[in-house]
Amino acid sequence: MGLFRYTIFRLLQAIPVLIGISIITFALANLAPGDPVRLMLQGQEVDEELIRTIEARYGLDQPVHVRYWNYMTGLVQGDLGYSIHRRRPVADLMLERAGPTLLLVLSAYVFALATAIPLGVLAAKRRNKPADHVSRIVALVGVSTPSFWIGIMLIIVFAVQLGVLPSAGLVYPWQPPEAAGHSGYIEHWIESIRHLILPMIALGTLQMATLMRVERTQMIESLQQEYVTLARAYGVPERTILRKHAFRSAQLPIITIVGLNLSTALGGAVLIETVFAINGMGRLFIEAIQQLDYQLVMGITMVLGAIFVIGVVITDISYAYIDPRVTYGDRE
Amino acid sequence: MSSDPLLRVENLKTQFFTETGTVRAVDGISFEVYEGEIVGLVGESGAGKSVASMSLLRLVESPGEIVGGTIEYKGTTIFDLEEGPDGDLRKHPDMLSEAAMRERIRGREIAVIFQDPMESLNPVFTVGGQLREFIELNRDLSSSTAKAEAIRMLREVGIPDPEQRYEEYPHQFSGGMRQRVLIAMALACEPNLIIADEPTTALDVTVEGQILDLVDDLQERYDTSFIWVTHDMGVVAEICDRVNVMYLGEIVEQAPVDELFYETNHPYTKALLNSMPRPDRTVEELTPIEGVMPEAINPPSGCRFHPRCPDAREVCTRVHPEAREVDRADGHPHRAACVKHDVFDVGYDESVPLEDGADAKPSGGETEAERGSAAGGGHASTDGGESR
Repeated sequence: MGLFRYTIFRLLQAIPVLIGISIITFALANLAPGDPVRLMLQGQEVDEELIRTIEARYGLDQPVHVRYWNYMTGLVQGDLGYSIHRRRPVADLMLERAGPTLLLVLSAYVFALATAIPLGVLAAKRRNKPADHVSRIVALVGVSTPSFWIGIMLIIVFAVQLGVLPSAGLVYPWQPPEAAGHSGYIEHWIESIRHLILPMIALGTLQMATLMRVERTQMIESLQQEYVTLARAYGVPERTILRKHAFRSAQLPIITIVGLNLSTALGGAVLIETVFAINGMGRLFIEAIQQLDYQLVMGITMVLGAIFVIGVVITDISYAYIDPRVTYGDRE
Repeated sequence: MSSDPLLRVENLKTQFFTETGTVRAVDGISFEVYEGEIVGLVGESGAGKSVASMSLLRLVESPGEIVGGTIEYKGTTIFDLEEGPDGDLRKHPDMLSEAAMRERIRGREIAVIFQDPMESLNPVFTVGGQLREFIELNRDLSSSTAKAEAIRMLREVGIPDPEQRYEEYPHQFSGGMRQRVLIAMALACEPNLIIADEPTTALDVTVEGQILDLVDDLQERYDTSFIWVTHDMGVVAEICDRVNVMYLGEIVEQAPVDELFYETNHPYTKALLNSMPRPDRTVEELTPIEGVMPEAINPPSGCRFHPRCPDAREVCTRVHPEAREVDRADGHPHRAACVKHDVFDVGYDESVPLEDGADAKPSGGETEAERGSAAGGGHASTDGGESR
């Protein structure tokens, strides 16, 4: 089975998982207290007739299984539902907010990988020496400190005290510079980076800490393999052993962690967007919950669930691509 | 053989500093390897064979350390200590630096073949790529020449379709084929000495036979010297020219291979030979060596073999013999570390024999003997001799 067929196969396997997610979110949304119609009317005195008309209009008068069926038929056609509260399609609402969240999560991963891999390799190389102890403390602090607190501290130090970086919002590099009031692209991009630094660090620290520890463990294990001893016995310089011989096989678990931690990163983005006043999907999600906007909550949950499942599939595929021992489901 | 040896090891000591104490894994061994020879290093598991061979490349990993002795290779000093002005031992100024070891000795002059072909190849790189890298590094060839050379060597060690196999990964090779790759790797770097650390132990007997034939054949053609580390006297008989028998970090007997088998001078060697089936002798039953080899962390007093030795006398518990020349054959010394030989003159003949254990024969029975003769030319392992 080739890589392409393997990809299709894994994507098909993801379908039952997605159906499961939809059932759970739908059930939770229906079990939650509060009546969306009354909420929409915001306490206005209306007669029962009007309420029933509204319910009929949005299909709320039908039994649960019919409503679920209607929801699912819409979903497979790409219709994520209609926000009664905001009177707009859920998909439109999410598309508007997806950019900042993706930008934030991706940059947090870039930050985490760019710092964790060199630090992890260094810690493995200097095992039980000062550099290793420092990295261990950094990792411990990074894992145990809540990201929103890191965010707040970063704002206090770098935005309030030192005043070197902005504390709120993002500048979107994909927008024309004029929209953000900048005169040229250079200034525009510099501004987007400056706005991104603090939230990126706040969100990326947890990932960095986890990845660094995994990288260290894997490198230590890899450095003890017989093929590393063999490379040494054939005169391969230690530098090359670290960069090549021990390095490559040590990266496989990193890919897994990156894929699986996507859910943590997306969850963290909800908090970080709130702290840094970023208009992303996370904030939209919080607003939707506060407004009991069930359609929106369900839509976002479905999409985040799908992103997570696809992340896992991509992890598997890249694993198969990097590790020659992984066969695509059959033996040769 | 009057010429200078290729490799000379003198009084080499390697110790491991563990929390429970100092493990004297290699405790003062001396031997030589001449050009074109296959020299055996034989002993039970834990005798210090592998540590000794890693010491030759200065690749002993922490907490292990070479603490004494001299290793000379073709006149260059791989390891030597000298006494400093303050009486402390320090590295001899002629000793090669770590960088020089890497650039001039490892791979280029002395190559290794490890025991486990499954673990010795990197699973995420192609077999050919790994071969090519080592050839490039140790023979200063360009990438394309090294590739051609790698393919030629793969063909040389009997791997079919070498061009195609070059692109494949280790997991696509069988154990025997991987060991062939490792042999190709060692030979392709054109070293003068190859340390083969139990290279056939992980293979089954038929594949082992093929590999031994291959090595014999290639050794003649390339005239490479070998140090063959093994626990298998059968393998020793098949390919070695001279043999060093190790017991608890020491060499207890050193002789040309025929001498060792027919003029055995150390009780341990004798016991090893009695515990394996031999095609040239018919015996009623095999005699295992009594007991287990003690730990190198706390070796017995006197001769280290005395608690298991059938010839042990009282003097053996007191006198610790080093290997001395007791005979000469083919211009090589036959050394043995046993006080019963006259050269020691410590009063062995007058000493009282030890009563305990060692002379008690096990009740092996019919089946044991049958299995022994059925195995015929098969190889007996000295590992776990006590359980047989």
